[in-house]
Amino acid sequence: MAQIKKRDGVKKHKVVSQKEWLAARIKLLKEEKELTRLSDKVARRRQELPWLRINKKYQFETEEGTVSLADLFRGRSQILMYHFMFGPDYSAGCPACSSIADGFNGFAIHLANHDVMLWAVSRAPFAKLQAYKRRMGWSFPWASSFNSDFNSDLGVYFTEKQQLKGGVEYNYRREPVAIANRALEGKETGKWRKGGDDAGEGPVSEMAARCGTDAATYIRERPGMSAFVLEGGVVYHAYSTFSRGLDGLWGMYQWLDRAPKGRNETGIWFRRRDEYSKDGSKDCCSV
Amino acid sequence: MAKLKTRDGVKEHKVVSEKEWVKARKQLLVKEKKFSKLRDELNKQRRALPWVKIEKEYVFEGPDGKETLADLFGDKSQLLAYHFMFGPGWGDGCPHCSFWADHYDSVTRHIGARDATLVVISRAPLKEIKPFKRRMGWQFKWVSSNGTDFNFDLNASFTPEQIKNGTAIYNYAPLDMDIDEREGASAFYKDSKGDVYHTYSTYARGIDLLNTTYNFIDLTARGRDENPEQSQDWVRYHDEYKR
Repeated sequence: MAQIKKRDGVKKHKVVSQKEWLAARIKLLKEEKELTRLSDKVARRRQELPWLRINKKYQFETEEGTVSLADLFRGRSQILMYHFMFGPDYSAGCPACSSIADGFNGFAIHLANHDVMLWAVSRAPFAKLQAYKRRMGWSFPWASSFNSDFNSDLGVYFTEKQQLKGGVEYNYRREPVAIANRALEGKETGKWRKGGDDAGEGPVSEMAARCGTDAATYIRERPGMSAFVLEGGVVYHAYSTFSRGLDGLWGMYQWLDRAPKGRNETGIWFRRRDEYSKDGSKDCCSV
Repeated sequence: MAKLKTRDGVKEHKVVSEKEWVKARKQLLVKEKKFSKLRDELNKQRRALPWVKIEKEYVFEGPDGKETLADLFGDKSQLLAYHFMFGPGWGDGCPHCSFWADHYDSVTRHIGARDATLVVISRAPLKEIKPFKRRMGWQFKWVSSNGTDFNFDLNASFTPEQIKNGTAIYNYAPLDMDIDEREGASAFYKDSKGDVYHTYSTYARGIDLLNTTYNFIDLTARGRDENPEQSQDWVRYHDEYKR
């Protein structure tokens, strides 16, 4: 037996011979392959989803000035859009979204060469996004949907009125008004739930503080990913995913899922990339 | 109906009202949630795997000089290693592994904050790795296992004899390609006494989820839409794409 130190204490772990290990590993491999095939199957079902024609004329602020949704395709027929939580009243982008963006910053160029234009879109004014983008050293395109209905229509922004009247429908389900009420009263709204539907999202007040805003304002913005298609000059909405649907897009978790301790989390441990020391061991400037 | 152009030609695609769209989307969401839960369950089983104690001493050559496997952990108790296909004399690393590696600089710090170190390991000598790494602009730690049994023991490299006799094992089955390097990822644990254990290895499509680009592409209307004969024929080194 060996010992493994985890957040919830030290546990014994079985140590075996190479032969026994292989037998156990091969058994798991069978299930891993099943999961890979299931993933392929869900991806096929996703592609079979019908499309929704977008008739509204949305406008975005970009490096090329004010452009339409169709302009964002930049010669590709598909857009993958990350709904980055950065409201007009935030002083910095959401740390979880920032960690996801660290990943796509490195590979957006591969997507761009496979007929997919990747964009981040947030509600904060364009100048604010640009300043934060410079701070983080990112190069992916980031558009502002400031003053447009876009985020609201895509289900990643809710007004205070919606919060108060139980009109928040996120991730295809209606949210209890109690969540908003607690946030508006400045009380804790999210508990850290391991592997739950809200994993990585709570506690809300801590995340809000890290973005320089209050909890109620913070959760008016939500994370998500949407896919659009441009065909014959018409833009279609093909897909959107939210909440834990984004888990597979969060590169670091795919690695941690293969580490002996797994995600091993009991709270918000991640920071913005420039808030870690070089090897990630220390928090150099937490809020 | 709208049209969707894929490798297999132009297909008709159904366009519906918002109400119908949301209904179809919710049906798919049930399946997606089932998949997420299954993945969580599998992650649990992965961590429940027994470990094997590593008795051999492997010495790698890296930017910090000669380092043992235990040294590669740094001050962390977990080591995640990517087996990057780059054999001695290749000149350049494998373009597909390079595609995967384009993801790694974004995760090293975050993983570091979770008591884990990510290291990339190849069999090419360090002097061959260095210029290629510089060209690609990567920051992650990349060490050479040249002259050690490491890659062979971890089933990421194969000897000419193994290939000739058909005894090479890859992804827990006989190797089906005439090649001496393959890709994979391995996990190790170092306990408080300094003993190192091999906890996990994965190969072939097992590293699919580590390539976040594919998880993104899986959300698009066209999907991966790759050449079935050679799935990644569209992939280039990131400095070979037109901006």
